[in-house]
Amino acid sequence: MPASASSAPPPPTHSRREDLIVRLRSCSSSTEAKLKALRDLKNQIIGNRTKKLCFLKLGAVPSVTSILSAASAAAAPSCSGDDVEVNESLIIQSAAAIGSFACGFDDGVKAVLDAGAFPLLLRLISYPNDKVVGAAARSLKFIYQSKLAPRYDLLQGNNMEFIQSLLSSENENVTGLGASIITHSCRTSMEQKALSDTGVIKKLTCMLGGSVTQKDASLESLATILKGNPDVISKFMEPENGGALGTVTELTKDKNARTRLLACICLIVIKNSAPSCLQDLRIKTKLILILLELLEDDQVGDEAPFALSSLIAEKEDLQLLAFEANVIDKLVNHLRKGPLLSRRLEGILIALANMCSRLERCRDRLLSLEAMKFVTDALSQDSGEVRAAACICLKNVSRSVKNLSAGLFMNESFVITLVRLLFDDLTFVQVSALDAISNIVVDFLAHKTMFMQCGGVKQLVQLSKSMDLTIRVKAVCALRNLTFLVNDKCKEEILSELTQLTLRSLICDPEACVQEQALALVRNLVDGPLDSIQHVFAEDALLLHAVGQQLQSASKVEVFIQGMYVFTNVASGNEVHKEAVMQELFPPLANDSESIMFKFLHSDDSRLRTAAVWAVVNLTFPSSSGAFGRVMKLRNAGIVSQLKNMVNDPCLDVKLRARTALGQSTTFGDGST
Amino acid sequence: MPVRVVEASSTPSRPSGGGTSGNALPSACTLLSVGQAFSGTQNVSSQQKDEAWRVNVRIQGCDLDHGYLCGTMEALNVPMADTPVVTFWEGEIVDTKNYTFFTGKWGATSEDDIKHWTKFPSFSPLLSQVEVDGGKSLNLSNYPYIFMRWKEQYFVNVGTDCGLTIAGFYYVCFSCSDGSINGFYYDPNSSPFQKLELKSTNEGRLGFSFSSYELQ
Repeated sequence: MPASASSAPPPPTHSRREDLIVRLRSCSSSTEAKLKALRDLKNQIIGNRTKKLCFLKLGAVPSVTSILSAASAAAAPSCSGDDVEVNESLIIQSAAAIGSFACGFDDGVKAVLDAGAFPLLLRLISYPNDKVVGAAARSLKFIYQSKLAPRYDLLQGNNMEFIQSLLSSENENVTGLGASIITHSCRTSMEQKALSDTGVIKKLTCMLGGSVTQKDASLESLATILKGNPDVISKFMEPENGGALGTVTELTKDKNARTRLLACICLIVIKNSAPSCLQDLRIKTKLILILLELLEDDQVGDEAPFALSSLIAEKEDLQLLAFEANVIDKLVNHLRKGPLLSRRLEGILIALANMCSRLERCRDRLLSLEAMKFVTDALSQDSGEVRAAACICLKNVSRSVKNLSAGLFMNESFVITLVRLLFDDLTFVQVSALDAISNIVVDFLAHKTMFMQCGGVKQLVQLSKSMDLTIRVKAVCALRNLTFLVNDKCKEEILSELTQLTLRSLICDPEACVQEQALALVRNLVDGPLDSIQHVFAEDALLLHAVGQQLQSASKVEVFIQGMYVFTNVASGNEVHKEAVMQELFPPLANDSESIMFKFLHSDDSRLRTAAVWAVVNLTFPSSSGAFGRVMKLRNAGIVSQLKNMVNDPCLDVKLRARTALGQSTTFGDGST
Repeated sequence: MPVRVVEASSTPSRPSGGGTSGNALPSACTLLSVGQAFSGTQNVSSQQKDEAWRVNVRIQGCDLDHGYLCGTMEALNVPMADTPVVTFWEGEIVDTKNYTFFTGKWGATSEDDIKHWTKFPSFSPLLSQVEVDGGKSLNLSNYPYIFMRWKEQYFVNVGTDCGLTIAGFYYVCFSCSDGSINGFYYDPNSSPFQKLELKSTNEGRLGFSFSSYELQ
């Protein structure tokens, strides 16, 4: 018969916990009493975050650290044998209690560091008693598993020798500590190389044959040393390391799920950093299948999709393999099983985003599984990471022009939520939402008004004034995409919200990337029906002059390209428009031979030469009445003779446009008479 | 009667071929970039009557690395349709890396391919090599014509019950010089060699205009 809830032993009351603290702090307590208090504390907090937090608030960590400190001082070699033994017991128990606070619990690590336990523990690593060393190493290992741990300078003094001595130890906790220090502290390629040169890889490889803890610590360390460093990887592959790659590959079949995951991560690091080292297609497919299987695991299921993402990110061939292994279906099945915890949901959304970053068939599959409703739901989740992951997924799926053209993403469920995320408290969520919106507003159907009705333009304009460069440039890019092939009524609305003055200040923004997007926006603004060109002539041609000024003063080729296309589009208008462009390109008092047009036609960048020649094509357009005068001006400025040099330009596009422009110019005679 | 787009009179320069020179992607052509519009006609004449539909095309997406192009096609005076019929199409650019002249699907044999491609005068310098390997070893990166296949994927503004079919596909030849497009519709169940003739449009402007977007 099941016991009622009331018959279970009552949890320790508040007073019992405080009593334990008193026992730890009491100067009058006997050594035995302190040892018992330490054991009691350790037993209560092991694996229990709630109790760890509770004792943390009661100030247990400083009390335990005091015991450790006192016992360490008292166990000096000058003391008598019995005293040493007793104090060593206190050291072992207090170090163990500190380790339990630090294990997998950042608040505990912080308290341990604040209490000054870290240097005490580090000193104990050279203590003559193995049990003491083991207890200190175990605690330090847990501290080093936290991102809060201080970074160990591997290149300083004898520190590398210290790491080697740790890895050479017979004690599992000590070797584990060595591996954890490397995992936590090795960041630069110089550190990676130094570790490799001192034979650390060989020692870590030996650990791969040890216990589960040793295997895992070694795999994590190896991944850290190999990451992004092809030279160290090639050393790792050398026969002197005892077929390390084979051992790691074998460990992907280990019975322990965490070991399998870490072995996969190690292989992924090798694959990403030195692709030629892992050419075998079967290994790649195997990695995908193992990671999918690990997704089901309670212990490592949260991390498996992130490992999968790092395997397939930006790699079309791997995405195709994953697609063929039904990864999308399996990930979506997990979403269907929901509700999922934030970390798992985030990982799955990021993996789906990576799957859909390049291949249309992946996007088609995800859409056919009707999975976008999960993405929409995730946009409103409490976790900022999940909201951002959902935006990234939506961004990548909406890279499909086919689906944009079908107006698939411009529906209220996406748009209203995304516009709301533009106000999100977290900057990284705002950035991800801006990316998704940038794609969605490209929409080729007449749905752009829906975005405007949801207040999207107002918020984008607000963000275009942000002090944060990333936010500012992405907001302007979204406005640029919204202005692509949009009707004139929408252009009016965008401009009335944005204002000529703000747009001018964006064209003249201190950052070139913002200038580029702002000019691309103006380029779209003056495309389409002829009347659109008038937008740059409003307020005494404020925008047109701003474009001209920017082209005279900017330095980045992308800015020049967009600026020249603004002039090209304006020059496709009537006589007034064409003459206004001439004024900007050849200001009355400037030296024509130093004109920006002359400079751009000589550019090394074929895209800029193309944009510049198109402007000439439009300025010399045969049916325009003032073409003759402009041809004369261009001839005097050396543009026509430059066009003659460009009729065999290595870029086909430039060559063809130069021939057209030259043909139009010579309609009025070749200027030789 | 549909107006025919005049073919360039000069013979195009020979593309390089053979050896390792093939498989360079075609260079970007601004007249075939996103936002560009074209208009013209498609001749749908049958033995019973002469008929041509006015057609507008707009380029919506272009990914040269993958030999991909897409856009919409609007047929304006389709009999029995109340409104213009808009379809979305996806194009395969024959770049000899992603796609060769041989279609290998959509019911088109290599004989059908050759039969259609040879209708474009600009194809003649390529014929002999295409017969050997589909053009795999040709380098078309600087060739002033871009060959494509356009396949309509779905109706944008009407249902599939509109009485029209998009079962076939177009063999297309684009002139980089003037932006003119010639095509032939291929569908074993439709009239053969329906000709598509389009010209770059400038929407009432005295010149050319270019818009752009940037996907994230």
